Amino acid sequence: MKDISLVRILPQEPRVPFIKLRVIAAILSVIAVIASAVLFSTKGLNYGIDFTGGTVIEIGSVTQELDDAEIRSALKEMGYASATVQGIQPPEGSKTKEGVPIENRLIRIGLQLQDESGEEGQGAQQAALIKVKTELTTRIGDYFVRNTEVVGSQVSGELRKKGLMSVGLALFFVLAYIWFRFEWQFGMGAVLALAHDVVLTIGVFSLTGIEFNLTIIAAILTIVGYSLNDTVIVYDRIRENLRKFKRKPLGEVLNISINDTLSRTILTSVTTLLALVALYVLGGSALKGFSFAMIWGVFVGTYSSIFVASPLLMALKLKRGANTGGERADA
Amino acid sequence: MLFFSRSKIFMIFGAVFLGLLLAIPNVLSEEQRENMPGAFSRSINLGLDLQGGAHMLLEVDLSSILSQALVNERTGINDAFRRADDRPRTEFVRVDGNSILARMRSKEDADKALPLLQGLSQPIDPSQFGSSNTTKVSRESDRNLRVMITDENIEFIRKQTIEKSIGVLRRRIDPNGNLELTLAPEGDKRILLQVPGAQNIDDIKDRINKSANLSFHLVNEKDSTNEQAMSVAYETGRVAAGDTYFPFAEASGRRGGLIVTERTRITGDCLKNSSAGPHPESSGAIVNFSFNVACATEFGRMTARNINKRFAVVLDKEIVTAPNIRSAITGGSGYIEGGFTMESARDLSLLLNAGALPAKLTIVEERTVDPSLGADSIRAGKVASGIGLLGVAIFMWLSYGLRFGTIANLALSTNIILIAAALSLFGSTLTLPGIAGIILTIGMAVDANVLIFERIREETYNGKTPINAIETGYKLSMAPILDANITTMIAAITLYFVGSGPVRGFAVTLAIGIVMSVFTAVIFARLLTATWLRGKRPKTLPI
Repeated sequence: MKDISLVRILPQEPRVPFIKLRVIAAILSVIAVIASAVLFSTKGLNYGIDFTGGTVIEIGSVTQELDDAEIRSALKEMGYASATVQGIQPPEGSKTKEGVPIENRLIRIGLQLQDESGEEGQGAQQAALIKVKTELTTRIGDYFVRNTEVVGSQVSGELRKKGLMSVGLALFFVLAYIWFRFEWQFGMGAVLALAHDVVLTIGVFSLTGIEFNLTIIAAILTIVGYSLNDTVIVYDRIRENLRKFKRKPLGEVLNISINDTLSRTILTSVTTLLALVALYVLGGSALKGFSFAMIWGVFVGTYSSIFVASPLLMALKLKRGANTGGERADA
Repeated sequence: MLFFSRSKIFMIFGAVFLGLLLAIPNVLSEEQRENMPGAFSRSINLGLDLQGGAHMLLEVDLSSILSQALVNERTGINDAFRRADDRPRTEFVRVDGNSILARMRSKEDADKALPLLQGLSQPIDPSQFGSSNTTKVSRESDRNLRVMITDENIEFIRKQTIEKSIGVLRRRIDPNGNLELTLAPEGDKRILLQVPGAQNIDDIKDRINKSANLSFHLVNEKDSTNEQAMSVAYETGRVAAGDTYFPFAEASGRRGGLIVTERTRITGDCLKNSSAGPHPESSGAIVNFSFNVACATEFGRMTARNINKRFAVVLDKEIVTAPNIRSAITGGSGYIEGGFTMESARDLSLLLNAGALPAKLTIVEERTVDPSLGADSIRAGKVASGIGLLGVAIFMWLSYGLRFGTIANLALSTNIILIAAALSLFGSTLTLPGIAGIILTIGMAVDANVLIFERIREETYNGKTPINAIETGYKLSMAPILDANITTMIAAITLYFVGSGPVRGFAVTLAIGIVMSVFTAVIFARLLTATWLRGKRPKTLPI
């Protein structure tokens, strides 16, 4: 056979005993899920202002260099003791008009429940923003504002609710679709695998303390989509092989199917990772959290389709013979 | 699977070519774009996070509007009773929660009052047949009558308030109409304001925060000169019935305040026009104004009756000035002085011309991005997609060889072009997360081709002939490809409907990317494969 592919990355018929590893994988997954839950309930997440409300200002220097300590003490004197100042990484290659690399600071001020005159309500964030902007000028001289985000308590509450709802709804619709296309065990297995991915993603965000904001919710939903992609492709092959090898035990059929799709699983993960790593390295602070979540999601999603979604079919006692539910779509 | 009719081939290449044409404007300069016809001159709409600008969510204080409506209703009821020929006697008429309670002296008084109250209830929109009435009157007991504002009327008031606020905001922020503002209702009580480009955001916020409620009130000279009444009013706000206390504005240079009559017919709605001008006597500035005819008459009457008294010009609950009436002012025009500078006078006349905001607006969310940050994000996005694209392309060549690698990469680049075309054609907005979505699509788009090629490999390995292997490969890959993409689509659609702002932008690019990647991998790449097969008729597959 004439083969001009430069690299034959994977053997044509890999026979990795995935299903034999399922006990180890189950222990690993259970530990990871419990650890994530514990982390989430003890350490919690570093929520961004989308979910907590508050103010974030990105400022850049005009003439002199910005002094973090000076900004911090100025904020403290204004009465924002919990405000934080940190340097940020701008998108790759950002330069000021003078051609100097940008070294900006991000100032975060927590949610203000009332303004200076003690008036409660939605206007308090704006009042704090104006105060910080004017008083900072007298303390550190000229600076310019590159980015401002102010989210009131009501809006942040709504965003939090919407974020939770979107993940919940997505999982529900997916369950419904897979149920419709396969047996119920497949739907259950896929959704449990997805929940596993979501929990582990939340766990890793809790562990690293990376800011958890609206774009992370988007990333989680994309992870859901990606992991599902993987799971559905393995499931599809399982369904096909169940018909093909009527006499083989379920575990063996599962293993053959995972191995059949293994090269595809790895190739797609690699191409997706290639794109995501480029984004992670070059995208700057604004996209760092998002691409980190996605990179993590590619690993977890691939792992879960092989070690969670498929063995779950055994645990859920998928019945042989009744495995042709749903019709095939031949386009 | 490998047979394509001539018309199908024509359609597929036609779609790709059209996509290419639609995507071209994005790499042209603005000047070149203008010379392109219609749909082919559109480029991708950049979100505020990429082009810079301000995004604000403003909340309208509807409760104050509704309580004002109740107060007006009460005034109307009292007027109706007073004007009636056979006047019903009341014990009290007061606002009671969300309705008005009128307690009459006797059952007979209530009998007389009931038709009067019912007469006050008018259709909300007289031009519309079957329109609901403004109020609903019910008799609670012999002497108690309750007037409620109907839900339909509350809804009408809500809509009108939002609509009017949007109109006023537009005239205030963009009096010349060249800022390309977005102003739209969002939900029940909010207004979305988007100002693209580099603008002075603090100025805009100033204009949002001022309600510019102007009114002229007669001063209650007796109480305003009574020291005790004034100190009670200053400390507790308590004044005689029908009066109210306003403090002097800081710019007026006066301290304290005045007690004035609460009701007035001369309000900002009376203004026909206003403009800034130099002060005739001092170095400051004034705001000239002229009333419409009805108010000019009313103002003339009011001033004629109150010569040698003062009237207070009140702006947003602060007295700007309180001049003495020397003679009746019948011309319907005049000026306001109040320690203005030329600039503050100009600002005030702009606000007055734009009209008063019907209710207070609060900025509940603000996201402002400097255009330089947006430009940096776009550039970084371009570099990241370029590197991602290159990496994926090289990887595909390494994995599937020159022939099939090229087919996959052609499909991938067509995919990117089609995404750009769709974004331009639909005028969807590209946001920073949207760029992330495109880069993610680059990685995931090859998935369908990988699936197909792996399957072809497998079939070849099982000893099928090239045509047979390719045929089976495409056929068997169809179900998993569709299942996989439909489920991802479900996530994207959920994201679109539940998400907001930039996240929506991400959902749009993700969804478009899914559709386009199925088209390019399943249809376009299959056509390329079939064309190559027919031309070469290979004995073995280079895969």
